[in-house]
Amino acid sequence: MKEFFYRIFVGRREKYWWMNLLVPLVSIFLALIVGAIFIKSTGRSPILAYKLLFNASGLIPGPFWRSSFAELLLSSSMFIATGLSFAIAAKGGLFSIGAEGQFIVGAVAAAYFGYAKPFTGLSAIVHIPLILIMVMFLGGLWGLIAGYLKAKRGIHEVIVTIMLNWIAFQLIEGWLVPTGGPMSAKVETGVSGTPYISPTAKLPIILYNTRLNISILIMIVVVFLIWYLLYRTTFGYEIRAMGFTSIFNMEAPKVSGVNTSKRIMQIMFISGAVAALGGSFIVLGILFQYPPVFEGGYGFDGIVVALIGQNEPFGIFLSGILVGALRTGSTAVQIARIPKTFPQIIEGLIVAFIALQVLVRYLLFKLVKAKKRVKEVKSEGGIS
Amino acid sequence: MEALGVRNIVKQFPNVLANDNVTLSIQEGEIFALVGENGAGKSTLMKIVYGLYTPTSGEIYVFSKKEDIKTPEDSIKLKIGMVHQEFMLIPRFTVTENIVLGDEPRKGFLFDYSRAVKEVKELSDKFGLKIDPTEKVENLPVGIQQRVEILKILRRGAEILIFDEPTAVLTPEETEELFKTLRALKDNGKTIVFISHKLNEVMEIADRVGVMRKGKLQGIVNKTETNERELALMMVGRDVVLEVPEADVKRGEEVFSVSNISVKNPKGLLSLKVVSFSVYSGEIVGIAGVEGNGQAELVNAILGFWKPVSGKISINGEEIKLITPYNMRTKGMAYITEDRKRRGLVLPFKARENVIMGQHTLYPFSNKGVLNDKEIDTFATKKLQEFDVRPLDICSKAESFSGGNQQKLILAKEMSMKHNFLLASQPTRGLDVGATEFVYRMLVEEKKKGIGILLISLELTEIMGLSDRILVLYNGEIVGEVTPNETNEEELGLMMLGLKRKEKVQ
Repeated sequence: MKEFFYRIFVGRREKYWWMNLLVPLVSIFLALIVGAIFIKSTGRSPILAYKLLFNASGLIPGPFWRSSFAELLLSSSMFIATGLSFAIAAKGGLFSIGAEGQFIVGAVAAAYFGYAKPFTGLSAIVHIPLILIMVMFLGGLWGLIAGYLKAKRGIHEVIVTIMLNWIAFQLIEGWLVPTGGPMSAKVETGVSGTPYISPTAKLPIILYNTRLNISILIMIVVVFLIWYLLYRTTFGYEIRAMGFTSIFNMEAPKVSGVNTSKRIMQIMFISGAVAALGGSFIVLGILFQYPPVFEGGYGFDGIVVALIGQNEPFGIFLSGILVGALRTGSTAVQIARIPKTFPQIIEGLIVAFIALQVLVRYLLFKLVKAKKRVKEVKSEGGIS
Repeated sequence: MEALGVRNIVKQFPNVLANDNVTLSIQEGEIFALVGENGAGKSTLMKIVYGLYTPTSGEIYVFSKKEDIKTPEDSIKLKIGMVHQEFMLIPRFTVTENIVLGDEPRKGFLFDYSRAVKEVKELSDKFGLKIDPTEKVENLPVGIQQRVEILKILRRGAEILIFDEPTAVLTPEETEELFKTLRALKDNGKTIVFISHKLNEVMEIADRVGVMRKGKLQGIVNKTETNERELALMMVGRDVVLEVPEADVKRGEEVFSVSNISVKNPKGLLSLKVVSFSVYSGEIVGIAGVEGNGQAELVNAILGFWKPVSGKISINGEEIKLITPYNMRTKGMAYITEDRKRRGLVLPFKARENVIMGQHTLYPFSNKGVLNDKEIDTFATKKLQEFDVRPLDICSKAESFSGGNQQKLILAKEMSMKHNFLLASQPTRGLDVGATEFVYRMLVEEKKKGIGILLISLELTEIMGLSDRILVLYNGEIVGEVTPNETNEEELGLMMLGLKRKEKVQ
C-alpha cells in the first residue's frame, strides 16, 4: 500500500506529470466560466445558480448534505463503471461505445438473479456476490461479441457496439420485460416490469437513513484493480502497447509476439463486465426491479466521464464524482429559473475544453516557461 | 529547345545531402531517364521540380525561362505533371470523375458529368490511351489506374511529364503497354522524365540517361552510346565507405530454412516465386536485390503476416506449421526491422518498456503476470549502457530518441532475447555512418556467437562486406548464389538487375 501511494504521488518519473492533472482542472474551470457567461446572457444570476448547484451536489457540506452526498456517490458509482468500461477499451486502442447496451444487460441480469426462485433462498452474503458474478459474466459476453467480431472478422468495433446497444435494448424492452414477456411480473401482483428483487439481493446500506450502499466501495476496489491490471501486469502492458500502436495496425506488439486478437477479445470482455456491473447497481440499489421503461444514458455518459478522466482509472474516479455531483445538483438550479439540464451543458463544455487539451497544454507550458525565464533573469541579475 | 533545366540544385535534408549541386538539361520531345540506386536523390530532384520540395539552393528553368516553383500548383501552371508511385485516385469515383476532379466542367452550378465523359473520351482518343470513362477506379487493374493518372495530368495541359518509378507496381505486360503510351506521348511532342532503377527498361525506352549516385549527377549518356553494364557501373560506383570487421567463423548446422515458398502480396501478385534457401549457424546470408523484388514478401511470410501460398518454413530443423511472430520467436528467431517507428518500437512507450517487449512475460521481468519494476529498470539500464544508447535515460519515451538510438534500442531488445536465428531486414536503413558501423559490429558479434543471420539489404557494400553467402533476389526469384570472394559489385549489380544468372555455388 505504501508503494502504491508512493507511486501515485512521489514516484512520478515523468517531467511535468502534474500537467495531466492540471489540464482537466483548467478545463473544468474554463467550462464553469463559459457556463456563467451563458447564464448571464439570459439575464439570470450565475453566482446564484452555481451556489445552488454545488450546495445540492453533495460536494460541499451544508444543510441536507447527508442525503445529497449519498445520492452523489450513488450515481457516481454508475458513471465510474461506464467510464472505466470505455477507458479500458480505449487503452487497448478500441473505441467501444457499447457501454449502454452492456449496462442494461447487466441491469436485467441483476433483476433476474435477484428475483428468480432458486436464488432467493440464499443469504445475502452468498446471493449478492453470485448476482454480481453472473452480471459481470453476461455483460462480458455481450462485450465479447464485439471483441470476437473485431479480432476474428475485422469488423469495426464502433459499428458492432452500436448495433449491440440496440439489440440489447429491443431484446429487453421489447420482449423480456413488457407485460406477458418471460421476465415480466405476474399481472395479479399489479407490478409492471420485472418482479421486485428479494431483500437478500439488495445492496447493504452503509450510511444510515440514506440510499447510499456499498456500490461506491465496490467501484473503489474495481478502479484499483483496473489500474493494477493496466499498469502492473504484463496483460496491461500489452494492452497499452496495442493502444499506442493501433494506428499502425498494432504491428509492433504483433512482431514482438503479442497475440493481439486474443487480447482484443479479453479487453472487450472486461470492458463489458465493468459496464454491466454499473448496470446491476441501479437495479440492486435504486430501482429493485427492471422497470418497463428504463431511463438510460449511463453508458453514453460514461464516454464523457472517461474523456474528462483522461482514460486513467483514478482520473475516471474523480471525473465520475464530478459528473455525479453535477447530476445530483441539477434539480436545485431550477430555483434560479434555469432548466435542470444545465449541468449537462457544463459537462459538454468540459469535454470541449478537454478536446482542446493540446491548446490548453501549450498555453500552460508557455506560462511555465515564461515564469522560469523570469526567475532565471532575476537570478542572473537582469542580464538576459 | 530546352524543356526543363535545373542548375546547381542543392537539397539538404536534416541528416542527408539529397542533391549535391545537380545541373542537367532536358530537351523538348525526348524521353529522359534518371537512374540511380535507392536514395541516390533522383526522386528528390524531380519532387523539387514539381514543387513538392523547395531546394536549399539552385535554379529551375522551364522552357528556357527561370521559374520559381514553390507548390505543385505552380508547376501545373507551368505545364509540368507528375505521375507518382502511389496513385492519387479516389477508388469509389469513376474514371471521369477522377480525371476532372479539381477542374470540373460545369453547367451553371452543377457538375456536367456527360460533358466530362465526352472530354475524357476525346482526350483518350487523342493520345491513344484506351479507357472506359464510366468505370469505377476501384475495379481497374493497376496499369489502367496509371493510365487514368496520365490522362489526369494531360487534361491539365502538361507538356513535361515526370514518371516516378512507374513500372514498380506493374506487371511485365502492363509495363509493355506503358512503354507504348510513352512513345505515343513522345510522338505528340511531350517531354518525358522517367525515373527508374531498372536498367533494362531504361535501355528500352529512354533517349538519354542521367545517372545519379549519392545525390550527385554522375553523368549523362546517350542510349545509343552506352550499355547496361556501363550504366550499372556508374550507378553503383566503387567507393566503400565503411570498414566491416572481419570474423572467421566455421559454419555449423542449419538453423533456418525455407523451401519452395511462394507468397502473394496484398495486391494479389505472386511476388515471391518458389524460393528455397537455408541459413546455417555462424554465417551471414545476405539477400541482395533492388527494393520491391520480393524482400517484403519474404519478411512478412517469415513473420506470418502474409500467408505463403505454398512452401515450408523451419527453424532448427523443425517445421513451423502455424507461422505467427510468437511461434517463430519461441522457436528462436529475433527480428530487426527496417521500419523502426511502425514495427520496431512502441513510440509513446518509455525505453524501459520497449526494451523488454517480447520477453515481458518471462521471469524475472514478470512473475505470474505481474511486472517487476526493479528488475526491468536494472535490466534496461544495463542494456542501454551496453548498447550505448544516448541519452541514457530509461524513462525517456522511444519517440524522443534519434533514429540511430532507436535502432540501438531495437538491437538491445532483440539481441537480449534467446535466439539462434536473426532476421535482419535492412538494419541500417536511414542510419548515419556511426550508427551503421555499430550495427555492423553487432551483427559480426552475433555471428561470432554462432547465430545464423539472414541479412536483407539494398546496400551492396553492406551485403558484400558482411555476408558469407549472397543470394540475389530478382523479380521474386533467387537468380544467383555467390560468395563475396568470387564476385564483385559489378556482377552483383548485373544479377540484381536481372541481366545475369548464377546458380548454386558448389
